[in-house]
Amino acid sequence: MKTASPIRTWSTLALAVALIAACGGGSSRSVIQNKGSDTLVNVAQAWAENYAAVAPETAVAVTGGGSGTGISAMINGTVDIANSSRKMKDSEIELARGNGNEPIEFVVGFDALAVFVHPDNPLDEVSLEQLATLYGEGGDVDTWSQWGVEVPGCGSDEIVRVSRQNNSGTYVYFREAVLGDQRDFRLGSRDMHGSKDVVDLVENTPCAIGYSGLAYATDHVKMPCVRKGEDGDCVSPSVDTAIDGSYPIARPLFMYTAGEPQGAIREYIDWVLSDEGQCIIYEKGYAPRTDVDCS
Amino acid sequence: MFEATAQNRRNRKVEGLFRLLFLWMTCMLILPVALVLGVLIVRGGPAISWEFLFSPPTNGMTAGGILPALVGTVWLVVVALIASVPVGVAAALYLSEYAPDNRLTRAINLAIINLAGVPSIVHALFGVGAFVIFFRFGTSILAASLTLAVMTLPVVIVATRESLQTVPLAFREACWNMGATRWQTIRKIVLPNSISGILTGVILEVSRTSGETAPIMFTGAAFFLPFLPQGVLDQTMAMSLHLFVISTQVPDVPEHMPFGVALVLISMVLAMNGISIAFRVYLRGRKKW
Repeated sequence: MKTASPIRTWSTLALAVALIAACGGGSSRSVIQNKGSDTLVNVAQAWAENYAAVAPETAVAVTGGGSGTGISAMINGTVDIANSSRKMKDSEIELARGNGNEPIEFVVGFDALAVFVHPDNPLDEVSLEQLATLYGEGGDVDTWSQWGVEVPGCGSDEIVRVSRQNNSGTYVYFREAVLGDQRDFRLGSRDMHGSKDVVDLVENTPCAIGYSGLAYATDHVKMPCVRKGEDGDCVSPSVDTAIDGSYPIARPLFMYTAGEPQGAIREYIDWVLSDEGQCIIYEKGYAPRTDVDCS
Repeated sequence: MFEATAQNRRNRKVEGLFRLLFLWMTCMLILPVALVLGVLIVRGGPAISWEFLFSPPTNGMTAGGILPALVGTVWLVVVALIASVPVGVAAALYLSEYAPDNRLTRAINLAIINLAGVPSIVHALFGVGAFVIFFRFGTSILAASLTLAVMTLPVVIVATRESLQTVPLAFREACWNMGATRWQTIRKIVLPNSISGILTGVILEVSRTSGETAPIMFTGAAFFLPFLPQGVLDQTMAMSLHLFVISTQVPDVPEHMPFGVALVLISMVLAMNGISIAFRVYLRGRKKW
């Protein structure tokens, strides 16, 4: 029987494919691993994209997954910069220290959490107290008519509560700012796995109400203004009201490094905090940390 | 004398009915494939261009191309193949050619079947714990590909073992009677005659590896990385995750883009399968029995 040796056939095949894969080599460069918050992921992506032109010898690899994902990667030491839309907890900082990674915190911008409803919904303003009785444990608001609102297209009158999965920084911050630290979310909400998913669902569901970063707003959803206390001013979410602090649910966004950043990581953080980096976060619909001129 | 009775006619009618039913079921099988391909070609076709295939994403991943994801997927698949095919084929050879039928081999067989049933997200978590953290590969092509390799190992083992068993025992016995050792028999008789079946396993592995998202999401694939990987310890973008990301995470992506990515991914799998199938047909043509 005359057959080519299967081993030779195999090795030829493997070599051929390896050669195809290996093309695209080049000079050495440093890679910064940047992981975490889904709120920040699109800004992080924009930073990485623009930084490629500023420092071609540095590659920034961006990964999402949620603030919790980034923070646990920081604790395990598998990431250079963790993005988070909430502060690291003391217990998390202890864990990271235990592994020899002292987390250093940088505020890279601010985010207003907007409340979203369907464009047909007549609701124009909502108070933090109303949101708390809607989303919080023990709350008793289930229908739009309890708020005196009649929503066209929402035959069931039921309020469809849209929330986030529990490793999301948006989820944690909303709980802190609206429900209070001690109060849990009420069961029965639709928990989405991304900021964009919340807006997508609300766009298509007349009965729905949800919360998400202002940067994810589209023309097909409505954002009622938010009031703190019964006689406070009702403030619309915007980059400006987040900067001046008048919007009640705006939060800082963080980057954490393991230890005082050095070399390429330091340069990257410095660039993110520079006017150029801050104008990118502004263009993406978030508030920069200081007033920058981005004309 | 042979006039059809009522019973005969009824039987024939039922026969025809079942024939039609089975034909219809078979057509139903093709329908989803045809629909998926049709929709992808119609809606994703306009996105395909040289620039789309050979440039990195730009403008917040709403424009530009998919080159890093395309190259990344090739890396992931190739490294996974390099890791799993030798191990899988060796294991199958042992189980089929050497192993006695005892409690240990039965336990191993059971383990292989169970490994095949583990959900991919569990493999992903295993990959994070084992390769990313314990072996300190970090989130890298190596960690992701090894996770994929572990996941697809049962496919390779089962396909190889089955194809080894199609080689008639008489071939082996003839060989042994000529004084050949087991390894000589395997190398000269068993492997050459079963290579097409082994390739089937590899085809299945390639298709599965290039499409998986969960196992690579935490172990090596990046949301965005505008550079091509330079080694197995780099992170990389991948087609499957890129498709997930631009469909669910990035606002303002033009509608044709996700369809374009899906079309390229499917074409890539079909092309890789095509090569293997052609090779298989060629080998089978040379079969002497």
